[in-house]
Amino acid sequence: MDDIVISVKGLTKSYGGFEAVRGVDFEVRRGHVLALLGPNGAGKTTTVEILEGYRQRDGGEVSVLGRDPSHRDKELRSRVGIVLQECAVDQYLTVTEAITQRAGLYPDPRPVDEVVSMVGLGAKGRCRIKTLSGGQQRRLDLGLALVGNPELIFLDEPTTGFDPSARRESWELVRGLCAEGRTVVLTTHYMDEAQALADQVTVIAAGKVVASGTPDTLGGRDQGETTVRFVLPAGVELCELPLPPDLRPEVRCGVVEVRLPDATALLHDLTGWALARGQVLDGLKVRRPSLEDVYLDLTGDDG
Amino acid sequence: MNDVEIALHQVRYEQKTYWRNPMAAVFTFMFPVVFLLVVGTSAGSSTISGSTLRYDQYLVVAMLVFGLIAACYTNLGVTLCIRRDQGVLKRMRGTPIATASYFGGLIGSILINVVLLTALVVAIGMVGYHLHFPYHPLAAAVTLLVGVVTFCALGLAVTVLISNGEAAPAVINGIYFPVVFISGVFYPISNSSVLSKIADYFPVRHMVKGLVGAFENGPGSGLQVRDLLIMALWAIGGLVFAVRRFRWEPRHR
Repeated sequence: MDDIVISVKGLTKSYGGFEAVRGVDFEVRRGHVLALLGPNGAGKTTTVEILEGYRQRDGGEVSVLGRDPSHRDKELRSRVGIVLQECAVDQYLTVTEAITQRAGLYPDPRPVDEVVSMVGLGAKGRCRIKTLSGGQQRRLDLGLALVGNPELIFLDEPTTGFDPSARRESWELVRGLCAEGRTVVLTTHYMDEAQALADQVTVIAAGKVVASGTPDTLGGRDQGETTVRFVLPAGVELCELPLPPDLRPEVRCGVVEVRLPDATALLHDLTGWALARGQVLDGLKVRRPSLEDVYLDLTGDDG
Repeated sequence: MNDVEIALHQVRYEQKTYWRNPMAAVFTFMFPVVFLLVVGTSAGSSTISGSTLRYDQYLVVAMLVFGLIAACYTNLGVTLCIRRDQGVLKRMRGTPIATASYFGGLIGSILINVVLLTALVVAIGMVGYHLHFPYHPLAAAVTLLVGVVTFCALGLAVTVLISNGEAAPAVINGIYFPVVFISGVFYPISNSSVLSKIADYFPVRHMVKGLVGAFENGPGSGLQVRDLLIMALWAIGGLVFAVRRFRWEPRHR
């Protein structure tokens, strides 16, 4: 199918006797962002590097833009943009020169000025790269990956070390790329980044896919239990609260915690009780499991 | 753009990078010039036995060899090791550039440097030391070209031996300097000496002899075919080793 940009089936790869990737499957559709999550050493980077053409696989089927990346053909490389984990830019060129140099390697590059301002380096165009801050070099790195007008972009931890506003800007940039119909494969350790950007999250642990889904449904997150917490009011015993005993509420350091599938009725009872007694429910929190909770659950045993 | 146009595109940026990084230019251009101005003037103008060149004229030719090796072997080796360590080579490997275009750009830029260096050193020799324009200009050009190929091949090969970019200058010069010393680059060495016999196994001495032959006149001068063939063997050995073992990616990552 034409809108499957990446298809991976039964991918395996070993280094020496160590099985880094043990049968990974996933697909990515055109215009989507796939976030690959997983602990360090789980096989994420190996998987991505096979897709990028840096590594040869041992087994399984891999198709990137309809081609086998292990052949490293020029046409495929001109349709793919890669940002590696390490910032890799020549120190002695200026920002504009570095992007112009890279543009010259591609058949259909984006205008250099457009790329410079896309990555927010408009004011730095004539500065030598070695004078840029770490975050600015990282954004240049992203610009270098985008100048070739890639249909598919690999971003390996692209916002590590960014300040919050630079991260937001990068997220906007990625959303813009997807709106143009480009596909993004993102590896990240930031769950909020995956939550904000990904159409699909795939969690890899110990060389296998342990969960896959949208950020909101991953690992049954949408069906997970809700946690309700509040400070036990002074002079009130736990048994006085309108809590059904079968929920087995716990008190830790004076904080009551209850887990249940749906908190609607419970909240009604609790707040009604508090209002009737003129009590305040300090620190009342209602929380669904975050992507991070689900992630830690999924990867915890394999760590 | 085709592969040749892309290589030429790369040459432009390799030249910019080169001239903005003072370390490389110091060894290639500054060292030979300063050496000639300081040592050359006190070297005396007696003729070397078995040669039509004077001592100071010999040093001019030898310094051209020194600079050429710095421009090719040292510069290429150090540049590639540092870029490999920084991940620049890995990034390049992810772009559509052909391997031949990338190295073509690097070596094209080196060729420009060698032409500039040759013009500079020969001009100093002619103006300062009455060095005659090479009596055998074609032999000089061929020798320089074989030198560029040989020492670029060895610069590629030496990257295989180095796993850490920071160690690159130390390892690369650590191999180079002892060989340069025994090869008669800083002072003439008699062909019958033990040092010369050892140096004959390495390419530097043959480069010196080859280039001296092009600047001399009289019997035995001209193209030094045997020396060039030995250099060519080193070039082929270096290339085969480099092609088989060259790494684009940093180690331990």
